[in-house]
Amino acid sequence: MKAIIHVIEYDFRNFFRYRWFIAALIAMNLADLFISAIVFTQMTSIVNYFKFFAPGLAVVGLFASAFMIGREINMEVRREIHHYMLSLPMTRTELAIGRVLAGGLRGMLYMTPLLITNFIVLSFPTLPQLLLILVTLLLLAIGISGVSIAIATSTTSFEKFVTARGAVYYLFFFCSSVFYPLSMIQVLSTRGLWPLVAFAQINPLTNGSDLIRSFLLNSPEYRFSPLMLLDVAAFSVIFALVATFAYSRILQRR
Amino acid sequence: MGLRKLWLVIERDLRMFIRYKFMLIMRGIWFLSQIALFGLVVNRMVQQAATAVGIDYFLYYVAGVTIISLYSTSMFIGYDIFEEAEHGVFEYLLTLPVSRRELVLGRSIGGGLRAFIYVGPLLIIVLAILGVANPLNMLIALASLFLFAFGVSGMSITIAVAMKSGDKYDILMGVLDALIVRLSTTMYPTFYMQRAMPAYAMVANFNPLTYAADLFRWGTGVEGAIQSNPLIGVLGLFIFFFSFTFVGVVFYERRLEGGSWQ
Repeated sequence: MKAIIHVIEYDFRNFFRYRWFIAALIAMNLADLFISAIVFTQMTSIVNYFKFFAPGLAVVGLFASAFMIGREINMEVRREIHHYMLSLPMTRTELAIGRVLAGGLRGMLYMTPLLITNFIVLSFPTLPQLLLILVTLLLLAIGISGVSIAIATSTTSFEKFVTARGAVYYLFFFCSSVFYPLSMIQVLSTRGLWPLVAFAQINPLTNGSDLIRSFLLNSPEYRFSPLMLLDVAAFSVIFALVATFAYSRILQRR
Repeated sequence: MGLRKLWLVIERDLRMFIRYKFMLIMRGIWFLSQIALFGLVVNRMVQQAATAVGIDYFLYYVAGVTIISLYSTSMFIGYDIFEEAEHGVFEYLLTLPVSRRELVLGRSIGGGLRAFIYVGPLLIIVLAILGVANPLNMLIALASLFLFAFGVSGMSITIAVAMKSGDKYDILMGVLDALIVRLSTTMYPTFYMQRAMPAYAMVANFNPLTYAADLFRWGTGVEGAIQSNPLIGVLGLFIFFFSFTFVGVVFYERRLEGGSWQ
């Protein structure tokens, strides 16, 4: 356990090296909320878009920041820093688990100001609701960190990593209820894009943002279902395992 | 000023652009997902509001995304300049038998031209979707988009040479991108910006992305009832192009003196 904590500490120190970059990301996220969402609120009567989008924004922020660990690991693979990592007094599994957890925890840290903004502009949850939100988001962040590490270890080319990251981003963001209600996505079925609709329904970003909405929006359209948590947990377990395996493998191979 | 030498500088920037093939593929994926996913779904969500101002939101958005793509690819040149400063390529460029002015002007033109070449195929797809209401309007709109691309490229060079740190440049570009795109009519009409927050609409009225997006929509005939005066757009883009190309050239030329980029 101590070794894992050391790895997490190492990744957190790296994370704070990018503090200005993180501040700029938060500024961009807030611009989305306080400019785009406010204007779209004037354009749609289906939902109060500002209130609808705020929980989605927290999930977008979580996704982007948890994904950053992949960029660092890809850089380490390219520059062969893993030789140094292997010289550390810990097992490869501890190292891999530490990296996956660190990615997730960094995502949580980044997302905190966005979640607090949600509480301020929407409503404050009860203590059990808050705990459920935090557990779900932590699981989501660990799963995203896992996806990111799995992609980062599958290529030594930064450009290929960036391209794959872009494709994953767009698939997860646009095929989810982050930007628009799930009921609106059904329109894609009529254009033969039903696989995307099916993906949107099981997308952990959909379930994560809808779970927050169910507690903060007080709307009958969004009701908490244990399946939401189950979906996010399944995603988290699968990708955390895949990432641990992929990271351990790449350390052994080189 | 030798035109041949100027062309050699432009050609070099065009060749360098092809190196970003994966980045370009990613931008292409972004463009398609914006249209095929975001555009279609949001169109359904805002249909009523769009009809109220006489537009088809999907077409409106497709035109806006094209301008965002043109803007972001024109900005690439600034990253190249930073990379060159970091890797000592500036010194190599200064040894070439081209004058500084040719070098600087060539970079500015190259930056805009390569963005236009990249957006070209996307533009053809978009025009197939939107159609062209009036060929003359379209030609004026395309000429204005050239000015826009060169202007953005000049702006990118100006900011890149004014900063010492690549990180700071990256951050500033991110923030600028967030504000300049969102405070423009690329995604929503000014009418709704005005209703949401008059200050947003005021900023949008002086935003080059607004001019470019509105002119492109005017060229294709999709803007309908909320069309702004195209003459203001052309004039705005011309001022934008002239200021930033001139400022960018002067800044870049000065920075080349005495190794101040180091």
